[in-house]
Amino acid sequence: MIEAPNVVVLAIAPEISLLVGASLVLMVAAFLRGRDRGIGVLLGIAAFAVSGGFAIAAWGDPPVVTVAEALQVDQLTQAVRILVAGCGLLTLLVALGWPRMREAGAEYAAILLFAATGMTLIAGSNSFLTLFVALELFSISLYVLCAFDRSSKASLESGFKYLVLGTIGSIILVYGAAFLYGATGSFQFDGVAAGLAEAEPGAWLVALGVVLVLAGLLFKIGALPFHMWVPDVYEGAPTSVTGFMAAATKIAAFVALARVLAEPLAPVRDTWEPVLVVVAVATIVVGNVAALVQDNVKRMLAYSSIAAAGFGLIAIIVGGEAGSRALLFYLAAYAPMAIGAFAVITLHERDHRGVTTLESIRAWGFERPFAGLALVVFLLGFAGFPLTAGFLGKFLVAGSAVESGWAWLAVVGAIGSVIGIAYYLRVILALYDRSARSGVHAAGAPGLASVSIAIALCLALVIAGGALPGIGIDWAGEAARVLAAGR
Amino acid sequence: MITATTLITVPLIAGIVILIVPFAQRLAGYLALLVALGMVGAVAGFVYRFEPMAGYQFGDDAEWIPQLGIRWSVALDGVGLALAAVTALVVACAIGYGLWARRDRTHATFGLLLITEAFLFVVFAARDLFVFYVGFEGMLIPLLVLLAVWGGDERRKATVQVVAYTAFGTLLMLVAILWLGLTAPDGPDFSMAAAVGRGNDLVFWAFALAFAIKSPLFPFHGWVMPAYRQSSPEVAAVLSGVASKAGGFAFLAVLVPLFPEQSARYAWLFIALGLIGFLWGALLAFRQPDGRGVIAYSSIAQMSFVVLGIFLLNAQGSTGATFQMVNHALVSAALFLLAGWLESQAGSGDFRRLGGLARSRPILATVALVLGMAALAVPGSSVFASEFLILLAAFADAWWLGTIASLGIVLAAMYMLRWISAVLHEREGDLVGQLRPPDLRSGALLAVLPLALALIALSVAPAQLTERVDPSSQMMVAGAFADKEAR
Repeated sequence: MIEAPNVVVLAIAPEISLLVGASLVLMVAAFLRGRDRGIGVLLGIAAFAVSGGFAIAAWGDPPVVTVAEALQVDQLTQAVRILVAGCGLLTLLVALGWPRMREAGAEYAAILLFAATGMTLIAGSNSFLTLFVALELFSISLYVLCAFDRSSKASLESGFKYLVLGTIGSIILVYGAAFLYGATGSFQFDGVAAGLAEAEPGAWLVALGVVLVLAGLLFKIGALPFHMWVPDVYEGAPTSVTGFMAAATKIAAFVALARVLAEPLAPVRDTWEPVLVVVAVATIVVGNVAALVQDNVKRMLAYSSIAAAGFGLIAIIVGGEAGSRALLFYLAAYAPMAIGAFAVITLHERDHRGVTTLESIRAWGFERPFAGLALVVFLLGFAGFPLTAGFLGKFLVAGSAVESGWAWLAVVGAIGSVIGIAYYLRVILALYDRSARSGVHAAGAPGLASVSIAIALCLALVIAGGALPGIGIDWAGEAARVLAAGR
Repeated sequence: MITATTLITVPLIAGIVILIVPFAQRLAGYLALLVALGMVGAVAGFVYRFEPMAGYQFGDDAEWIPQLGIRWSVALDGVGLALAAVTALVVACAIGYGLWARRDRTHATFGLLLITEAFLFVVFAARDLFVFYVGFEGMLIPLLVLLAVWGGDERRKATVQVVAYTAFGTLLMLVAILWLGLTAPDGPDFSMAAAVGRGNDLVFWAFALAFAIKSPLFPFHGWVMPAYRQSSPEVAAVLSGVASKAGGFAFLAVLVPLFPEQSARYAWLFIALGLIGFLWGALLAFRQPDGRGVIAYSSIAQMSFVVLGIFLLNAQGSTGATFQMVNHALVSAALFLLAGWLESQAGSGDFRRLGGLARSRPILATVALVLGMAALAVPGSSVFASEFLILLAAFADAWWLGTIASLGIVLAAMYMLRWISAVLHEREGDLVGQLRPPDLRSGALLAVLPLALALIALSVAPAQLTERVDPSSQMMVAGAFADKEAR
């Protein structure tokens, strides 16, 4: 007889809320045939709020390993749960502004909830099996979301491309996990760590396993040389989905990477550290330089998110308490900027009825002062100007690097940021180009209020994170202690 | 209780409010002018209450980001107060001029000018390196937007150049600040007091480069000409009048006190660059075809002279440099406003098309002559007093240094006299003949007059300024002076 696994229900209440929410949304939608399905989106928002509420309530509780030791619920997991719930909530608010939500809102919300579940699970995974299952759960959901706009060829292409390339990434990860299993005889993180500590240095099985696992996770982060999918997928996907991917996927994948490096792969730091240093530098350089020549704003932001991933990798390399704290704050600061920026683009796409390019966005800032100003703040945040959350994030990352002897990586990041300012400036210049005149086409269409609320919330977070970052740094520090302590 | 924090927060908040709230155009302008005049009043109160021997005053010191050892620490000493006072005056005059010139989009222009003012106050009052960085980098944003959106035809190129130069300098400085703050002996501490004497050569150069670019010091002045030429007159007045003083101030109040040993060791280099810049800028100013060109190159020359004065590292040199910065702020702001007025009235600033303006325009002739006489340092003028102090310091250092520096002052007389005669006297240009630009009256006169009156007041009673500045500036160079004497 199979023994029932030990499950602490309260510890996984956030995930349960998300899944129950998703099921509820789908069931309610079944009864709403032909009517406005925006109600599904509202239910989804409620599910995210409940899930995040559970995680906040459990903040500070002692860590628990549960579900047959597949999941570890600690401060880090809670932090990701809160962040992902926040991202999901904001994304749904943005999505409400999209006309197609009236017919397909429920499905959108349900799939988003599934994706969020995968993201919180991957952050808490305690074995490579959980890691893989969670990764697939959110990846498959995202494939669907990318292709969600069936009337748009670009969206379908985006989903298909992500599906094909993403599957390759997943396979690489599984392959690496299999090699590590071969070398250590375990999928559990502690088992792998123990096995690797005893393995002879330089064993090819270990090296191959480590590199393949890294490759799989770097793929999701969008770091070089696995970044090719990012621009195409970001450009084609519905813009609210792009914002969610830039914010939440990055959080989940980065935390998973940090956990894998801090727990199972900690004994083989010598193997992965040089690889990551090269990857980080290349990602910063290529991301920033490629962003310089983009005319499509979504594509430009995609490359800028690649560059941001490179910056995050600096914090991963530094590791320890300072590096992990910097990483978490940086990711948390990046999320509202990304969701906010793409929310503004959603507004512009509605106004303009087309793709947001440097040409089509000309002088738009004069017509929509609030959205324009918000976009400027988000871009300044990306660029790392003072008094934005983005600046504090970069400040912490560069600071942790300088503190632990990686000052030259901080200089590389700083130079990347200089290039970054140039392309963000191109958008700002176009946004307020006096010599051009563009007409608002669909101003005041319904559903815009929710987008504006989302933008305002993001704006408040970005400025609060820059002006009064103390609380955020404390929270990031508490969650980071998990990574610093290792096992 | 009015403190340095009030000085910073009032224009910042007022600027943001004016930027966002849709007041009527004229109302927004008058509100901005009211706030700017209020700041003049507040600073005047500080000047009156200032105790020269009591060091830093009107300060605030509170925890800001305790996790990183960052405090909101601001206070004014004689040097900072002198520059803050001239900033308040110049910004008020610039806003007054903009109001008279009936700029469109007053919300943005004046809001951004007030925000610039706030960040400049941050620079002049910062006692914490993080706070200083926020001001130093933050003032760039509003100025860039002003230049990028309301500049002349080649504003794009100008903006990109400003960003490329200054962002590069400040971001390297940020890495240096991180190093200084995080390697403090008793845990992270970003206060300036804790950083004194701890920096190594690399850190020193990172700071020096940022300040040299901002000042600008030869050969880092490439961004200056396009920026001064393409801005509207009131923005150019703020840029050359006070924003450039952030660089000179930073040399005197941050670089020299924080790095006494390196400042003494490399003083010769800054003296050499200052001399070259002084002579070279003066020569180029003499060759410029239009008023703005003359003022812009003379600004480069004057700021180089200031740097020269600072790095003589003695009491007269540093006091003279501060005095010279105040004088130059008044002169160049007034001249830019005047040149801008001429351009807007006559349609061009080209000397060949102007000329003979003095005829039947007594007010214009008087104001221009007073400013011109001040700029070429006629004995008895305040500029003469400050230049005399620096020359005295130069002769005390080495007789040949004083001799070469005196040569630059002769050149200054040449270009200023050329400007005066080209505009006021000589043959009437075609623009003057056809268009009959009116005399300087009402609004424009009111904007320039306070600057001219301040110059006259300082000429009459220069001791009012030097008495307040001297103890502070002496403190700043004391460490480096001792180091230099020990060599």
